[in-house]
Amino acid sequence: MRVPLSWLREIVDVDLTPDALAERLTLLGMEVQGIIAWGDDWRNVVVGELLSVERHPRADRLSLTRVDVGSGEPLDIVCGATNIATGQRVPVALPGAILPGERHIERTEKMGVVSNGMLCSGDELGLTGDADGILILQGDAPLGRPLTELYGDTVLDVDVKPNRGDALSIVGLAREVAALTGAPLRMPPTDLVESGRPIAERLRVEVEDPALCPRFVGRWVSTVRVGSSPDRVQMRLLAAGQRPISNVVDASNYVMVELGKPIHTFDAAAVHDGRIIVRRATAGERLETLDHVVRELDPETLVIADPARPLGIAGIMGGAASEVGEGTTDVVIESAIFDPISIRRSAFRYALRSEASLRFEKGQESRLARLGADRTARLIAEWAGGEVAPGVVDSNPVEPEPAHVAFRPARVNRLLGTSLASSEQRDLLARVGIETAPAAPGSRVRIAAGTKPLEVDAADAEVVDATVPSWRRDLSVEADIAEEVIRVRGYDLVPTTTPRTAMPTYRHDPLAVRDLVRHTLAGAGLSEVVTFALVAPRLVERFPARDDGELDGEPEQRAAGRPIAVTNPLSSQHAVLRQSLVGSLLEVVSTNLRQGRDDVAIFEAGKGYGSPGEPPTHEWWRLGIALTGAARSPAWDRPARAFDLDDAKGVLELVCRRLGFEAPTFTPITDDPNLHPGRAARVQAGGRLVGRLGELHPATIEALDLRAERIYVAEVAVAGLAGGRPSEHRVTAPSRHLAVERDLAVLVPLETPAAVVEAAIRRHGGPLLRDVTLFDIYRGKPLAESDKSLAYRLALRDDERTLTEAELDAAVAAVVAGLTTDVGARFRT
Amino acid sequence: MDLADLTRDLETLRDDALASIAASTDVATLEALELDILGKKGRLTAILRGIGALPADDRPRVGAVANTVRGAIESALAERGTHLRGSALTERLAAETLDVTTPGRAIRRGSLHPSIEAMGQIAEIFSQFGFVAYESPEIEDDLTNFQMLNIPPDHPARDLWDTLYVDVEGHLLRTHTSPGQIRVMRSTEPPIRALLPGRCFRYEAIDASHGSEFFQVEGLMIDEGTTMGDLKGLLDQFAKAMYGADKKTRFRPGYYPFTEPSVAFDVECLVCGGSGCPACGRTGWMTILGAGMVHPVVLQYGGLDPERYQGFAFGMGPERIKMLKHGITDLRLFLDNDLRFLEQFR
Repeated sequence: MRVPLSWLREIVDVDLTPDALAERLTLLGMEVQGIIAWGDDWRNVVVGELLSVERHPRADRLSLTRVDVGSGEPLDIVCGATNIATGQRVPVALPGAILPGERHIERTEKMGVVSNGMLCSGDELGLTGDADGILILQGDAPLGRPLTELYGDTVLDVDVKPNRGDALSIVGLAREVAALTGAPLRMPPTDLVESGRPIAERLRVEVEDPALCPRFVGRWVSTVRVGSSPDRVQMRLLAAGQRPISNVVDASNYVMVELGKPIHTFDAAAVHDGRIIVRRATAGERLETLDHVVRELDPETLVIADPARPLGIAGIMGGAASEVGEGTTDVVIESAIFDPISIRRSAFRYALRSEASLRFEKGQESRLARLGADRTARLIAEWAGGEVAPGVVDSNPVEPEPAHVAFRPARVNRLLGTSLASSEQRDLLARVGIETAPAAPGSRVRIAAGTKPLEVDAADAEVVDATVPSWRRDLSVEADIAEEVIRVRGYDLVPTTTPRTAMPTYRHDPLAVRDLVRHTLAGAGLSEVVTFALVAPRLVERFPARDDGELDGEPEQRAAGRPIAVTNPLSSQHAVLRQSLVGSLLEVVSTNLRQGRDDVAIFEAGKGYGSPGEPPTHEWWRLGIALTGAARSPAWDRPARAFDLDDAKGVLELVCRRLGFEAPTFTPITDDPNLHPGRAARVQAGGRLVGRLGELHPATIEALDLRAERIYVAEVAVAGLAGGRPSEHRVTAPSRHLAVERDLAVLVPLETPAAVVEAAIRRHGGPLLRDVTLFDIYRGKPLAESDKSLAYRLALRDDERTLTEAELDAAVAAVVAGLTTDVGARFRT
Repeated sequence: MDLADLTRDLETLRDDALASIAASTDVATLEALELDILGKKGRLTAILRGIGALPADDRPRVGAVANTVRGAIESALAERGTHLRGSALTERLAAETLDVTTPGRAIRRGSLHPSIEAMGQIAEIFSQFGFVAYESPEIEDDLTNFQMLNIPPDHPARDLWDTLYVDVEGHLLRTHTSPGQIRVMRSTEPPIRALLPGRCFRYEAIDASHGSEFFQVEGLMIDEGTTMGDLKGLLDQFAKAMYGADKKTRFRPGYYPFTEPSVAFDVECLVCGGSGCPACGRTGWMTILGAGMVHPVVLQYGGLDPERYQGFAFGMGPERIKMLKHGITDLRLFLDNDLRFLEQFR
């Protein structure tokens, strides 16, 4: 809401500087977001009169003007506009003037003629969009006066909260100023001189749906001359952010800003039969609105109609056929109250939200219907001539009873932590127009506290009855009264205390495992990223949910279900909720590679989303990682080392170790089209960490245009990630006996997985075998091409005694025998 | 051989040995000398073999001389050995000298995302006051996201939250973490001190200060006597912990349908210190969060009796908290995942 201070001062005296006023309004809840020095950027622009307008001798499209600027010699100014004529008063930018956008005006030569300044259009002054015509001022604009002095203003930009529709007006904000200063309000005059045939003989109004239109007040103004409003009105409307249109339309906009009452005006000649009918539209009915769009109406929409056709969409926009224009002589003023929800729905339905619909949506006090009609009629008569027909048509001329809210001053203090006497509370409420009276002792009083009112015996507690002012539709419960008390008093009164109430019982931190994983991975050299949950549909198609991530007893166990799409997406790039983190991580890889990074090691603990049907939605946590480029950067003494599949495995092993899970096992998979079929594995750590990892398939790298040869990705479900605890594990004291190491070279067919060999070693190693380490893989001469040699180091130990050579030999022999039978291993001697 | 011959031989050996030892230049030569002179098959042993031929009376006398000679040689060997070994170490150390000014071997260090880290910092501060984290779904129903928070359908306050709806009947992407208030109240008996961190969604074009996806941290405290004074005190402590003990704070009126009274919480401008600058819109204050006393309607929807229980809620954007702390001016940096930005949060 833009508030020109000159306008505000018409309603209430303001003795504060704009800065001080802004600060105090902000602390009262009317946040001033900016103070605009309106007209400050018309430097050196004055009112001038055109003494002559002649054609430029060398350019048809330019005029040579002589302009009197009130002092000194008249100025010769060259002008390109065609709407100028001798005798007009216009804004003149003198040499040295600075216009909006830091445009400097100097004496120039145009086609051989000197121009001593510039005649200004509305556009050049930052006032209107009209760049073609010079702004023609009223004939009585004082010659030579700087434009800033005439029409400059200080404008406050106030952020009025949605519950305070009443403050979307100069009068409403003046009330807030009055609450601060105690100054009286001067309401805009609404008294009228009426003459001619009474409106009752000219117009009938039938409201068919009083629930959607509780009150309709009409006025009639005849013999108007439609033209421009006075300059000061136009300038004031511009300062308030409204575009001047014509004197009649400006009058209705003026009243909307001043009183907060949206008004509509019709050309009376367009109203058939002199009858206005307020009804719902019929299905398929069409209306060309003021913006010249033909709209098909639906039966939910309330329209203002005559017996023949709709004249406008109630509270939203008038019809083109009944628009007030140059030929209009008689005007019908519509000042109505509409159902806020109906207006809000219509505004959304036709995508026509406006300053008017915004005010209707928030609800309007009934009283305003009559006030607005009278005020508009008065302004039209003043600005457009015209004769106001005696009387009004009023569908419901009864003012509703004021609302009451009972409150307990003690409860207000208990909520705020203050100790304001009830008399102080009542004084503060009086400053915002809330009248109060003690409830009669012994009476039962209903306290509106929440969804269910509370009955209090006025003998048990002091209860005060507050009468809500008609314009305050936001006050309905006791807590609302508490807010009025404290905002008028100022929040500095609220003490700064620390809670003295009971502590809650212990609760496990659901983020503990997630934070443990995050810190572990950051420590291991990976950077945490946060990507969008909403992604492009093609990404969800390419990277679907993998239900192989089921964890026993964890939320992940539930099937993902179908992907969930946004029905009103901002862009196709963010239209569907993802089911896998991998696609998002690859996008991060891609952007960073494009920025010239040669190493990307990232992770995200994020959610996947789906709709399994029952329940309707499901969200699950996953850990995703992506690695590409240099695992170790080059140094002066060694080259870089590239990430490989074992790095990805190592990251998952680290997570398992950190969370106390058993070491993960990796099983080859070939069913993931995004992974290299020879370099992909399902990973599983005792049902506590489950998922898949692998090298990205070259086809996927190409399809996503990723600028890397090899990228390693993993996505796993991790027990506890969704809010659990780290696994507990036992800790043993170290043995006093050292382990003895024996090396074993195992010759197996190329396709035998190392994991199978290692499992066989552990199976046959007996109780003495404590650890198995693969320390070499060899292929090549003198081995057969179909063979490989896996070299393992076995660590053997007994915790109680030193092992004998015979025992060690027996243990190794058992492993050798087991490998021979289980995996067909041979041994090099 | 007689006593005199033997004695002379021993003395000759001594003189010869001492000269050789003195002339030796490295530890290996010295060790060879020791073996040659004192070893089992050495020259001293060879001389002493002659003792057997001497009369019994002379033997102790030769023995005494031999011991003196052995002692002299041993001490010369030891002395020379210490000397030679010392200089060998010195030489080795000199040969092993490194240029200690070269950079160290880089150890890969990752980073933690500032949005998540900020939520952690916020949680850490409030945990000192007994607040613990709760989680609440990101796909919410309209009832919990709006209606139970005192925002009925078609209410003008809905304009405060431009909403993304999904193709699951009655559901939407939560526009704030506040629906978590309802879920906490319904699952927990007071006293309640809850923090609800998480991702939120809005139908809002992305610019320097808005995102369609962002994080929020909601706080909720409910008990029988929790006042607005407690809210003010707690938030004041929070601001001082986050931005410095000297920072002034204030409440001013705000508006949320689910709190009444509602406030905005301002901290003295972190750029100008309160004198007014472009960063704070010349007001001297920066708004860091919104808060208020939980509306009685919300308490009732949460299953609590508003006559008995009262409390407060607050909500803040961790990105904004972080932006103010580090002087970051563009929210988009948090979503771009540019490692050059992220790696500054190690």
